[in-house]
Amino acid sequence: MPARNHNQWKADPPLKDGEWLDSRIYSDPEIYEQELEDIFKKVWIPICHESELPNAYDFRTATIAREPVVVARGPDNTVRAFLNVCPHRGMMIERRPSGSFAEAAPSGNPKRMTCMFHGWQYDMKGNCVYISREKEGYQDRLCKENTGLRRLRCEVNFGGFVWVTLNDKAMSLEDWCGEAFKCIRGPLEAEPLDVFHYHKAVIGTNYKLWHDTNSEFYHDFMHYHNRVTGFNDAYFARENTAFENGHVNVGSFEVQYDEYEGFESRAELSFPGLPPNQWYMVDLFPGMNFNLRGSALRCDIVTPLGPDKVMIEFRGLGLKSDTPEERRTRIDHHNTIWGPFGRNLHEDLIGVAGQGSAMLPGSEPRRILHGRHEDNLIHDEVGMRHYYDEWGKWMNRLPSNPSLPYAPAEAAE
Amino acid sequence: MGTNGVATSEAVRDAVYRACILLDDEKWSEWLDLCDDTFEYEIGAWSPEIRKDMIYFSGNRDALQNMTDMLAKHNTDHSPLRRHATVYTIDENEDGTIDVVSSLAIYQNMLDGINSHIDAGESHLFVIGRYVDKMKMKDGKAVFLSRKVSLDTRRLDKGSHWPF
Repeated sequence: MPARNHNQWKADPPLKDGEWLDSRIYSDPEIYEQELEDIFKKVWIPICHESELPNAYDFRTATIAREPVVVARGPDNTVRAFLNVCPHRGMMIERRPSGSFAEAAPSGNPKRMTCMFHGWQYDMKGNCVYISREKEGYQDRLCKENTGLRRLRCEVNFGGFVWVTLNDKAMSLEDWCGEAFKCIRGPLEAEPLDVFHYHKAVIGTNYKLWHDTNSEFYHDFMHYHNRVTGFNDAYFARENTAFENGHVNVGSFEVQYDEYEGFESRAELSFPGLPPNQWYMVDLFPGMNFNLRGSALRCDIVTPLGPDKVMIEFRGLGLKSDTPEERRTRIDHHNTIWGPFGRNLHEDLIGVAGQGSAMLPGSEPRRILHGRHEDNLIHDEVGMRHYYDEWGKWMNRLPSNPSLPYAPAEAAE
Repeated sequence: MGTNGVATSEAVRDAVYRACILLDDEKWSEWLDLCDDTFEYEIGAWSPEIRKDMIYFSGNRDALQNMTDMLAKHNTDHSPLRRHATVYTIDENEDGTIDVVSSLAIYQNMLDGINSHIDAGESHLFVIGRYVDKMKMKDGKAVFLSRKVSLDTRRLDKGSHWPF
């Protein structure tokens, strides 16, 4: 086929509806704003791991759909989440990424969340416990009972991750993603996990393009050297399984690490109940990924920053009971594949940055294909088809023409 | 610092700066030639997010050789890095080893990582941190026994897979 003229280029591909989409969903500012409102403010988001706030009064801050969030562990050991906003003048209460409220702040007392601006203080349940010169200023018109923090639903689950939703009416976390986690829940919940790795990347691309890359394995051609040295028939027989709510997981196989050039067998260390060298992947709508590869768990959390900008937070986890030697082994295994100096991650980031630079807001809409069918096996793009059918429902937009309302796709799965 | 302190300091500075040039020029083997056979290398950072010391990469000389041999076999952001080190302290230990701490800033000169038509030629600060080196004198030259690249930067966008 010769290179196409403009009309040919813009024509719909000879695939079924649901096997391709319009690139405006990756670049349109209006669609992005709707995604924040209709998706990110409605679903459960894992914002950190409980090992990041191990002690009473420890806290961690995050952002969901532009809303600042703080999670804190109370003296009763319960982790609670609040909007990180003082109800007085709208100041962000805690500005650090993590720390402890056990220590006194310059403007406030120990064991309190204190807004530095005017010294209002809150306990670990979000109750307002102190208003500076309360009676003098408000007399009996407003009191502490009227000025509690905005509490958010929060659960610690699926291996100790801290999940928060801005939606008071969201379905239970268990109903939201319990089925998708079944394949790795045993190893993740057999004993407490511990985070050992954190870094972030801010990439000029749409958040869904990162999730797409985590959902489709056809891009193993990009990791070419790994592909030709380490991948075997069992790799290509891995099955994609779709779950309710847009989630997908990718079944395991036994990785032959000693076949990778420069690697040795990794059979010495795994997770509880997980046979050596297994590799499961759980992709959660709308953009979180849990990747259990033998001895280390990787978790990606996306925070969309614009239609063409995303922050991805990368975590690596092992077992809290690790010996120093075991921990070192897990870190090495994690880093050589997934670390910022590892083999795969930088290639994935270059891939999605290239997509982002070719799909900037205002660029001509393109047809993006996800029509590979290979019996749901590793190169079948069923994961993306399943995701975008769910996306269409939440947005009431047709992925192949987001100007039209959602309709079930002919080839959704 | 002993009687040969000035000479030692000069040799240490020469080794640190020569290493920067060789790394900038991606002359990996020549860089490793500045290192002892027992050389140990690590890139790490303290994370205020998870409140832990982290290791982003670690390896001995063989692991580094393997890593750098592998670079050409993987897709890459070819934007060159420019390492600016300033040696701050040189402390000689009783066993003859030398502890060296240098401030480090690495700039990235954009080439092909995003849209080269727009970005190529632009430079920006990529990471900051310190080199924490242990050296010894051998035949009048300072030789690296170990290097810890202690990063402050925890946002590592694409292009971070080269040894720093």
